[in-house]
Amino acid sequence: MLVLVLAGTVGAGAAAQKEAQRETTQALSTRVVAYQIEARLDPVKKTVDATETLTYHNLTGRPLDTFPFHLYLNAFQPTSTFMREVRLYGTRGTGPESAWDAKHFGAIEVKSFQVEGQGDFTKHLEFTQPDDHNPEDHTVFQVKLAKPVAPGADVVFKIAFHDQLPEVVERTGYKRNFFMVAQWFPKVGVWWHDAWNCHQFRALSEFFADFGTFDVQATVPENYVVGSTGDLVSTVSNRDHTKTITWHAEDIHDFAWTASPDYRLIEDAWPGSAGTVHIHLLLSPGHESSVRRYLEVIKGTLDRFDKWYGPYPYDRITLVDPPQGGLAAGGMEYPTLITCGTTWWMPEGLRGIELVTEHEFGHQYWYGMVATNEFEEAWMDEGINSYTEAKVMESLYGKGTSMLNLWGMQADDADMLRMEYLSRPDTDPLSRFAWQFMNSDAYAAVSYGKTATMLLTLEGIIGEDTLRRAMHTYFMRYRFTHPTAADFVRTVDEVSGQNLDGFFQQALYGTNLLDYEVLALRSDPLEWFRRPPAKPQKGSTVYRDTVLVHRKGDFILPVEVRIKFDNGEQVIEKWEGRDRWVRYSYDKKARVISAEIDPRHTVRLDKNFFNNSSTEEPDRRATHKLTMYWLFAVQYMSQLLAWLA
Amino acid sequence: MGAAPAARPPFARPASRSALRHVIDLKVSSVEKSPLVAGLGLVWRRQSVLWWIFLVNLVLAGMGAAVLMGQLSPMLDQSLESHVFVRSFNPIAFSALMLEAQGFSSVGTAAACLVFVFFVFVLFVEGGLLEVYRLDRRLTKGEFFQASGRFFWRFVRLLILMLIVLIPVGIINNLSTRASQAVDERVPSPVPGIWVRLIGLLVVLFLMQAVRLWFDMAQVRAVAENERAIRRALARAFKITLGNFGSLYWMYLRISVAAWLMMAVLLWVWVRVVRPEWIGVSFLLTQLMALSWLGTRLWQRASETIWYRRKQLPVLKELESPPASVPALELEPEAVDFSI
Repeated sequence: MLVLVLAGTVGAGAAAQKEAQRETTQALSTRVVAYQIEARLDPVKKTVDATETLTYHNLTGRPLDTFPFHLYLNAFQPTSTFMREVRLYGTRGTGPESAWDAKHFGAIEVKSFQVEGQGDFTKHLEFTQPDDHNPEDHTVFQVKLAKPVAPGADVVFKIAFHDQLPEVVERTGYKRNFFMVAQWFPKVGVWWHDAWNCHQFRALSEFFADFGTFDVQATVPENYVVGSTGDLVSTVSNRDHTKTITWHAEDIHDFAWTASPDYRLIEDAWPGSAGTVHIHLLLSPGHESSVRRYLEVIKGTLDRFDKWYGPYPYDRITLVDPPQGGLAAGGMEYPTLITCGTTWWMPEGLRGIELVTEHEFGHQYWYGMVATNEFEEAWMDEGINSYTEAKVMESLYGKGTSMLNLWGMQADDADMLRMEYLSRPDTDPLSRFAWQFMNSDAYAAVSYGKTATMLLTLEGIIGEDTLRRAMHTYFMRYRFTHPTAADFVRTVDEVSGQNLDGFFQQALYGTNLLDYEVLALRSDPLEWFRRPPAKPQKGSTVYRDTVLVHRKGDFILPVEVRIKFDNGEQVIEKWEGRDRWVRYSYDKKARVISAEIDPRHTVRLDKNFFNNSSTEEPDRRATHKLTMYWLFAVQYMSQLLAWLA
Repeated sequence: MGAAPAARPPFARPASRSALRHVIDLKVSSVEKSPLVAGLGLVWRRQSVLWWIFLVNLVLAGMGAAVLMGQLSPMLDQSLESHVFVRSFNPIAFSALMLEAQGFSSVGTAAACLVFVFFVFVLFVEGGLLEVYRLDRRLTKGEFFQASGRFFWRFVRLLILMLIVLIPVGIINNLSTRASQAVDERVPSPVPGIWVRLIGLLVVLFLMQAVRLWFDMAQVRAVAENERAIRRALARAFKITLGNFGSLYWMYLRISVAAWLMMAVLLWVWVRVVRPEWIGVSFLLTQLMALSWLGTRLWQRASETIWYRRKQLPVLKELESPPASVPALELEPEAVDFSI
C-alpha cells in the first residue's frame, strides 16, 4: 500500500521507531569495524562537524601498528590526483573542460585523532600516496601507533573531523538546501591479501571497505526530511530548532545520509523471502509523475533478485530522488540507500528512471553484499551489475523494448550495453585497475558494457539457466565477503561443469575483438562445362554450394553457422574458429540462399552483427526505409533553413 | 536617401484587354474573401510553383539520401540482420551500423551542403514566386527567372539585414535561458524554470515571427513596387507591418498553427497508424508532411501578397480608371509550357 507523508522525518512516529529499534542480530558478515559517528550539519556553511569512534577488530592474524584511512572528500581539491585525472580525461559525466569552480571544491579535515590507551596522534598523521606519489593528494593518511594491535584485539580510534561539502560532484555534496552526505568520514582501509588496501580516490575509481556496524547520529534543522543507510532508531527535537536523528546499521561497509526540507516521503513495502522490505522514496518537488515508476521498478527488481540470485536480507531500501540541479548526486549506490534520478519530462517509453533505479539497486548485491574491490576490479561490481540489469530490465519491460519503446522506436538495455562496449572495444582489458583505463569512456565501455556483453555471450555457451544458477551460487557463497575475479570464474566453471578458461582468458584478460563474417555464397552447377549450358531446373540441377566464413577478429570462439537452401533444407555447422576461415561445400539439387553465423544471436561480443549473414537475394527494404528517413530529415532541415530566405 | 522606384523591366508591356479583364475578375472576386482564404486559393491556382519548389527540395534531399544509400546498401541488402530496421526502428542498432559504416561523415557533409543549396535556391526563386502571386497568372520560364534574378541581390541584402535584426532576438533567447537557469538554481522544483523557459521561448517565437513578417512584407513591397532601395523598402514595410500588426500577425499565426497542426496530425498517423514495415506508405506520408510544410509557407506568402495588394495598392480605383492609366503589367498573352 502506498502511504504519502507530506513532510517530516523518515519513519517518524512511535511505531516506525519501535520497529526500527532492533537489537544487534546474528552477524551476517565478518564485522571488522564498528563506527559511531555524531555529526552536525550546518546548512548555511554547507559543512558537517563530527566525531567518530571507530573500533577496529584485528582479524588479520598478525599485529598491526600502521593504519591507513581514506579522506575521500579531499579528492575535490585542485591539486589532488582525482582532479589531475579529471583534467586529463574527465570522469563520469564530467568532461575535462568542465567548470570546476570553488563551489565544487570539497574537503575533509581531521581536527583530532586519538587512540584509546595510546594518546593523541593528531600531529603524527601522515598523508600517503600509495598509487601515484602525488604529494598534493590528501585522500589517504596513515597513522603509526606506539603499540601494535595484537591479533584478535581491538583498537579504538577517536576522531574529530570537519567536512566542507562541495556543490554536488561525483554523487556527493549539496545543491541549495539538498544535502547528499556521502564518503564523508575518515574510513579505515582494508587488510586484504596480507597488506593494507587503501587506494587514493581516483577519477574513475570507487570504493572498498570492511563490513561492520554503524551507529550514526546527525543533527539537522528540524524542518529537514532525512534518509540514510540503515534503520532509524530515534528522533529527538532540540531546543535550537534542530533535531537529532539516530540510525543503526549492521553488516554494511559504508554509510551515507541525505537531508532536505523539500523531500516528500513516500512509503511502500515489498514482501521478500527474508522478510518485509520497507521502501522509502524521498521525492523531490516536481517529480510526482515519477512516483509510480520508481515504486514499480524497485519492487520488480527486488522480486527478480530475490528469485534469481538470493534474498535481500535488509529490512529497508531508501530511494533518493535528487532535486532540480542536483542530478550529479543521482545514480549512486550506498548500502540500503540508492540515489536515482528523473526529469519532469521523462516519457513512459523511455526507461531512464527504471534503468537507473534498477542498476543502483543491483549494487546492493554486487558491491553492497558481494563486496568486491571497486578500485581494482571495477567490472565485478559495475559489469556484473550491468549484466543483471539487462536481465531484470528485459524481464520487467520485455525483450527488445527494455530500454526504449517510444514513437515507433525500440531498443533493449542489452543492446545499449553492447553499444557502449563497441564505442571503445579494444583499449583496455576488463581486469585492469580502474584508474589505469585509457580514459573515462574506455572505463565505462569496458567495465560496464563489455562485462555485460561478455556475460550475455557466456549465456549462449553455458545456457541462461546455468549462468543464473552460477550467479546465485556466487552470490550465496560470497555475500558479505570480498571475492575476486578468480572466485567468480571458479564458481561459473563449477556450476556449469565446464572449463571456461579459454573464454575468460580472452574476454577478461585480453583486448581481442570478436568479429565473424560470411564472406561469400556460391551455387555453381556441377555440370557447368556442358555446351550448350543446361537450363537450371529447380530440384533437378545439381549445384556445388559453397559458403565461405571468415574470422575477422582475433577473439576465437566456437560458433554455429546455419546454411539454408532453396528446397527448404538447412544445415547447422559448428566451427571452432581456430583457423581464419572455413569453406563449407555441398553438392545438392538446391541452391544456397543464405548463411548465418550465430543464428541464435548468442555471441553478443561479435562487434558487427550485420556481416554475420549473407543472402543470395538482396532485401532492400531496410536500406530503403533508412534512406527514406534520411531523405525526410534533409528535406525538413532544408525547409527550416529556407524559412530565413 | 532612398531611390525612386525603378522603371519596369524592358519585357513589360501593356496588358491586353482580355488579360486585364481576367485580372480584374480575380481581384474583384478576391475582395470578397479574406486574404487568408484568398491566399489559399492563390496557392491552389498557382500550385505549379509549389510543385516545382517541392520537387527541387525532394531532388536535393534525394541526392543527400543517395549518399547514405550508397553506404547502407552493401551492409544491409544481403544481411539477415537488416530486419531490425524493417519491423521497427532500433536507434541503438542504427548507431552500431553507423559505427561500422566507413565515412559516414560524408553523408552528413553532403546533407549540410544540399540543405544550403536549397536555401540559396529558395532565396533565388523568392522574387519569381512573389511575382507569380502578385500577378496571379502563369509566368513563362524566362519571366519567372528574370524576376527571380531581378530581386535576388535585393533579397540577399534583406537577408543580411534580417540576420542583423535577429541578433537581439538571439540575445533575448539567451537571456531567457539564463533566467530559466537562474530560477533553476534557486528552487528545488523544475516547474518554475520550465515556465520561465516556456514563456521565453514563446516570446522569442513571437519576435521571430514578427521579424519574419516584417521582412516578408519588405519582400512583397520590393516586388510590388519594384523597389531597389532595400532600406527604404524595409522602413516602409516596418511602418506597414506595425500599422497593421494585429491583422497581419493574426493571418500569419493562423497559417503557422495550421502548419503545426498538420505536421502533428501527420506525425501521429505515421507513428500510430502506419506499421513500421509499410515503407511505401511512410514515404508518401513523409512527402505529404514536407509538402504541407512548404505549402503553408507559400500560403503565408500568397496571403501577404493579397493583403498588400488590397490594403496598400489602390487597385480597384486604378482599375476603374481608363485602361491607359493602368500600370503596364508585364503580361505575356500566352504562357509557354514550362510555366511556373
